[in-house]
Amino acid sequence: MKPESTDDVLAAELRALGRSVPTIEPEPAGTDLAAAVLARLADVPPPSASRWQVLRHRVGSAIGRRRRILVLIVALLFGGLGVPGVRAAVIDWFTFDGVKVHLQPAPGPSTTEPSPPPTAHGGSLDRARTLVAFRPVDLPALGPPDGVEVSTDHRLLSLTWNDANGTTARLDEFDGTLDYVFAKTAPGAEWTSVAGVTALWFEQPHEVVILDAAGNRRTETARLAGHTLIWELQGTVLRLEGDFTRDQAIEIAESAELLP
Amino acid sequence: MRAGDRDAYADLVRRHAPMAVRTASLLGAGADAEDVVQESFVKAYAGLSSFREGAPFRPWLLQIVANETRNLHRSAGRRSARERSAWARTEPLLATAEHDDPALAALSSERRAELVRAMAGLSSTHRQVLTCRYLLDLDEAETAVVLGWPRGTVKSRLHRALRRMSGLLADPADPADPADPGRTGGRNGRADLTDGADLTDGKEVEREA
Repeated sequence: MKPESTDDVLAAELRALGRSVPTIEPEPAGTDLAAAVLARLADVPPPSASRWQVLRHRVGSAIGRRRRILVLIVALLFGGLGVPGVRAAVIDWFTFDGVKVHLQPAPGPSTTEPSPPPTAHGGSLDRARTLVAFRPVDLPALGPPDGVEVSTDHRLLSLTWNDANGTTARLDEFDGTLDYVFAKTAPGAEWTSVAGVTALWFEQPHEVVILDAAGNRRTETARLAGHTLIWELQGTVLRLEGDFTRDQAIEIAESAELLP
Repeated sequence: MRAGDRDAYADLVRRHAPMAVRTASLLGAGADAEDVVQESFVKAYAGLSSFREGAPFRPWLLQIVANETRNLHRSAGRRSARERSAWARTEPLLATAEHDDPALAALSSERRAELVRAMAGLSSTHRQVLTCRYLLDLDEAETAVVLGWPRGTVKSRLHRALRRMSGLLADPADPADPADPGRTGGRNGRADLTDGADLTDGKEVEREA
């Protein structure tokens, strides 16, 4: 066996070992830790403007440096509170690959019920694997998918799981480097983590729109989505939608495995 | 702190806390991981103005976490004692990790035990580089920042650490174990120790397989 491949095998085993360590994280999602840190900083003088300018500047350079085309736009709406400039800067800064956090004016309260996720038709995972250019991900926690669909441009892979009443869960996957755009507007979203990796959880119903490459809304695709978790696994951006609690969604997400 | 800054910094803490706690735990903070991370965020706030232009935030934060974790063991006396006490806190985490998750079935409990045993036989330097690069899945550049080593050093140590670990996995009684005082350096024994940052009481052994 060549030395390189021995190293690769060992590296993969060490990664698996690291992933298997139970997620040791402050609960819930760092709230207590953040409170403790803020309490300790309460007496610290306000940071000089230059500090925050550094942050803002870094937002610009980080985005400029990233050659990737943004594939997903997430609009976070902070209901009526107004968004301080610093907060906007820091939130913009908190992007993960393929995801841009966008701030928009708060809309009126939504009274509409979210629709169940659209069902994927036809196809098998084996076939889909050959059609997309990224490594697809399966969710063993949900069992084999009932529907597998690849978009006509081969950039979006969708898996769905059904029960007698219709589709219960949907997983959309796409390459974080591709120009494929989802837009979301949501009355709230929170940071969480999947196996130690940053994720976004949308508790409230929110509008999902697919944008074209130029960023224009394709309104015919707009629909109201339910609980959604967005995270990333080795470059593949994943969006899980279904009637889950946040913890259930995270548990399912942590079962994700890349197909060979 | 102004209210807007508080919110912004709280967001920053929430976003990076899970990875920071994970890093502290695996680098040897054990049950003190949250305290270490709390301290690190306080220091990071104080040091916001020292960001290097264009550098990413996460490795910078994790570097502070790694330093704070090291400080935790300062009272353990000599360097070798400190390193043993760091590993003593990390080992149980790795050895008792849950693995009933089907996604992790690739790693049998026997193999896990072998890996942890082999890691125990590595020098602290090699454990650190493998922990950052693979267990925490940081990239090479991040690993360099977190451990405060030049990028080339990360590359060479990573290479040697994998070699060494393969050797230990193949032969757990490998005589090149750094714990063995009879051996004080292989062919390239001191090649990457020029910065002197991590000599294990002068008994660091680097060996090309």
